[in-house]
Amino acid sequence: MSKCRTYLCKAVLKEHFGDLAEKICLYMINKGCCHLRQIASETELPLDKVRKVLTALIQQNVIKFEKTKRGVVEYFVDIDVLLWRHRIPKFIHCAKSLYGDAAELLVEDIVYHGQIMMSKAVDNVTSKLNEALENAGHQKIGSSIVHDKFSLLAGSHFIRQCINGMETSEEELDERDQSTLYRVPPLHSTGKRKRSIDDSEQPAKRQKTDAPGDDGIYWKINSRRFHQYFRDQMFIKAISNRIDKRASTILQTMLRLSEVKTDDLCFTTQPLSFTEIFQAIPLDAGITRNLCEQYLTLMVDDSTNLVSKIGESGGGMFVVNIMKGLTSLCKAHLESVVQERFGSKSLRIFKVLLLKEHLEQKQIEEMAMIPSKEAKELLYNMFAQKFVSVTEISKTADHAPARTFYFFRVHMDQLARNILENCYKALANAMVKREAETIEHQ
Amino acid sequence: MAGRGRGRGKTVSFDVQALGFGRGEALPAANFQPPPLFPTQEFKPIPLDQNEDNAYLLALKQEFVAAIRKSPYYLKLDDRKRDIERYSDKYQLSSTDSSEAFEPDWRRLPSELKIKKRKNRKVSAIKPNLVARKKNAVKTEPDIDEKEIAKTLESLEKREETGVVDGEEMIGVKIEQEDDDDDENKAGGDDDNEEDIEGEYYDEDDLEEETDYAFNYFDNGEAYGDDDGDDDEGPVY
Amino acid sequence: MAANVKQEPVEDTDLETRVLLMCHQNPEGITDALIQEDMPHFDVKQRVTAINRLLSTGRIDLLKSSSGKLIYKLKDSSSQDAVKGSDQQEKVVYQIIKDAGNKGIWIRDIRFKCNLLLTQVNKILKNLESKKLIKAVKSVAASKKKVYMLYNLEPDRTVTGGAWYSDQDFESEFVEVLNQQCFKYLVQKAEAAKETKVDPIAQRNSSYASSHDVWKYISELGISKVQLSVEDIETILDTLIYDGKCERSIVVGAGDSDKSKKLYRAINPVIQSTGLMRMPCGSCPVFHNCYEGGAVSPTTCIYMKDWLQL
Repeated sequence: MSKCRTYLCKAVLKEHFGDLAEKICLYMINKGCCHLRQIASETELPLDKVRKVLTALIQQNVIKFEKTKRGVVEYFVDIDVLLWRHRIPKFIHCAKSLYGDAAELLVEDIVYHGQIMMSKAVDNVTSKLNEALENAGHQKIGSSIVHDKFSLLAGSHFIRQCINGMETSEEELDERDQSTLYRVPPLHSTGKRKRSIDDSEQPAKRQKTDAPGDDGIYWKINSRRFHQYFRDQMFIKAISNRIDKRASTILQTMLRLSEVKTDDLCFTTQPLSFTEIFQAIPLDAGITRNLCEQYLTLMVDDSTNLVSKIGESGGGMFVVNIMKGLTSLCKAHLESVVQERFGSKSLRIFKVLLLKEHLEQKQIEEMAMIPSKEAKELLYNMFAQKFVSVTEISKTADHAPARTFYFFRVHMDQLARNILENCYKALANAMVKREAETIEHQ
Repeated sequence: MAGRGRGRGKTVSFDVQALGFGRGEALPAANFQPPPLFPTQEFKPIPLDQNEDNAYLLALKQEFVAAIRKSPYYLKLDDRKRDIERYSDKYQLSSTDSSEAFEPDWRRLPSELKIKKRKNRKVSAIKPNLVARKKNAVKTEPDIDEKEIAKTLESLEKREETGVVDGEEMIGVKIEQEDDDDDENKAGGDDDNEEDIEGEYYDEDDLEEETDYAFNYFDNGEAYGDDDGDDDEGPVY
Repeated sequence: MAANVKQEPVEDTDLETRVLLMCHQNPEGITDALIQEDMPHFDVKQRVTAINRLLSTGRIDLLKSSSGKLIYKLKDSSSQDAVKGSDQQEKVVYQIIKDAGNKGIWIRDIRFKCNLLLTQVNKILKNLESKKLIKAVKSVAASKKKVYMLYNLEPDRTVTGGAWYSDQDFESEFVEVLNQQCFKYLVQKAEAAKETKVDPIAQRNSSYASSHDVWKYISELGISKVQLSVEDIETILDTLIYDGKCERSIVVGAGDSDKSKKLYRAINPVIQSTGLMRMPCGSCPVFHNCYEGGAVSPTTCIYMKDWLQL
């Protein structure tokens, strides 16, 4: 765990869960898996407090637990989930823009509670909505509307069922079980419940009349799906910048078609035939068959390599290259960083190095058409800040500097990782500063 | 090799000309001070992307953070330390804590995380208490022998005198450590002696400083039953 | 016998003319063996005299061929006048410099070729310069080196650095101006294409400009006092690619030109600026010293203070 990442975790914990949670989690992040007594003794906090924090955070999906072979329960912090918490407003906004107000409130409720049963969530949201509607003087709505939105969200995989950590663990799910994660129980079911893997034992005992029908099935948001959605949005925006809006509509259609079919970690989507794409385009976009063909050709030719044609069957088979698209976008962001940090001339040098891999000092100057002295200064500045790296190849065995080739190059992966760390740190700095300012000016 | 420690000549192993200084040109001015802590920024940040969506996101975030601050998931490190226990505390503190008590679904969590409500009152500085509770402990842990109990008593006494926080936990922990059984679930037995999650957290320090008058007099809420009440309390006046 | 004697001087001159004639006929040069073949009745001595006379009057040149044989070549009359009056050494040096063409030749190389002493060579060079027969040009590669070439020749690009260098200085403003002009041209073309064409592919195709078109436009603008070639313009367009402002595609030329054409087109950036650079931490010079509780920290940061206008 890098230093900057830990720093950011600290800031997020402090903001969302308080000092107590911050202390405990920081210890757990540094140690890895720990058991309860260990945490209590090392952090010198009362055991009850530790218990309370662990319970709260498990509920919020930040901490996970596992029973080891010896029977000891070990807890560990899921750092990714913790860091994704600062995207929560984006998740809520996404739900609103896709499915409306009811969905927004549903997601808000689910995120607030971490894990919640469908019936409870639906009830909460219905009462909130009705309150607002009453105040505005409109009629009340029934909870079935909210239940429909819930099903919509589950159908597009934005929310999913939680796995009971006491019984199974995440890795034990196989393909068939994955689909059950998104099955929404009916709204007011009483009596018998279907036995799914997420149900706990003793169904007979808990058949009280006031227990909700879907007792034991908890739901949480599926961050990965939201990330997939954000990623798609980025692609659409990029194409819209590069070509125009209609091309981005076509790309949006393509991505929508492969949304639930493709795993979000694939390099490319499933191939889509031209006819499929064309039929799925919304009619009000006003795109004719000819236009569609042309835009697809343009997208295939574009240097971002987002779309490629892999065959001719069905009028042309197209795939969206996720990996290549992400690489181009990443490159664009890195170039933006270089431009804003060092200036446009440095950007030129940077791009020359990106395109031509290894270059000597003199060659860089010539290609970028920048005077020698200035080029040297800019290049060495970037080198000092680790944006550019050097490979030495010596002609002689004694590595004399005068008889050595110094090749400059840009190491994309390394640079991307560095910038990511910088982003973590900058975000944490902003949060800390905000806290400091709010306290000062209260 | 030229320039290798021979006298104090200006010969260096690399080509000075390649650095950009011609022969005999002035070197850049020597720096006599440490560099400034915040040197002037050459490139200022570009303006933030301000549009409707971002404004809405900001509002969402502020709402969300305000909501979770009030939620039961947000836990403070120390409760407000009271230098003098005030009369109004009973009314003020209990109001904030009783909002939205969070009751997790215990079917999905390891049972060791459960905090059982205590039926007994807190320990005080008097010995008989220890003995009384020791009996409780003995009931649940029948395999501890007398020697260990005596040892525990002594160490506990020492600790009590030095005013250690949360003596109860120490008992629990000590017994646990002396067990050969490392099964965490057995620790459930100690829950009897532990604090109540509801109601306020009383630091041991506070208790030991106070007289027991205030403590005896005021009822602390639903969980503090008076079953064994008077046995655990201090001298009965 | 008398006839022989009488014929000699006539035959000598005949031989000379014959040799000259042969040189005219064979512009690459004639070897001794050829002369012998042609005029077998002249003996070696006569040949030698004739050739020497021709050489000293500067009518022919004595050269060594690659195989080591001696060749006699006709000298053009134009350069003859130039070196009239100079002595042999100067002629040699002059010849060497002339052979170097427009790349020029370094003084050390001259010395190496003619095997003369440095002082001698210097004197000769000074002499020739004063006669305005040769000139010295400073090379842009190594600013101390001087190369010599004939007075009326244009120095080659490698020496002067081409159109971008004037007197050893890289003209960066010139390059900048050209850069901006080319970009403007491409943008104009793209906008015109957008307005006139409806089809996206036709739009894209008509927004392409070949390097030749750009070159014509720039030449017409007349901002350059030096004559620029198409390759020069291509290097400028390449810098536009490195700026991320345009892209290039290569189309193999069909029809009359079998050279492949390079087409350039202005493009839009893929993203608007990245988020990290919208806050001071992105361009902070002391970013790596910053930690909470230190001298440089978020709470004490003056850049943040300015940014938030507190």
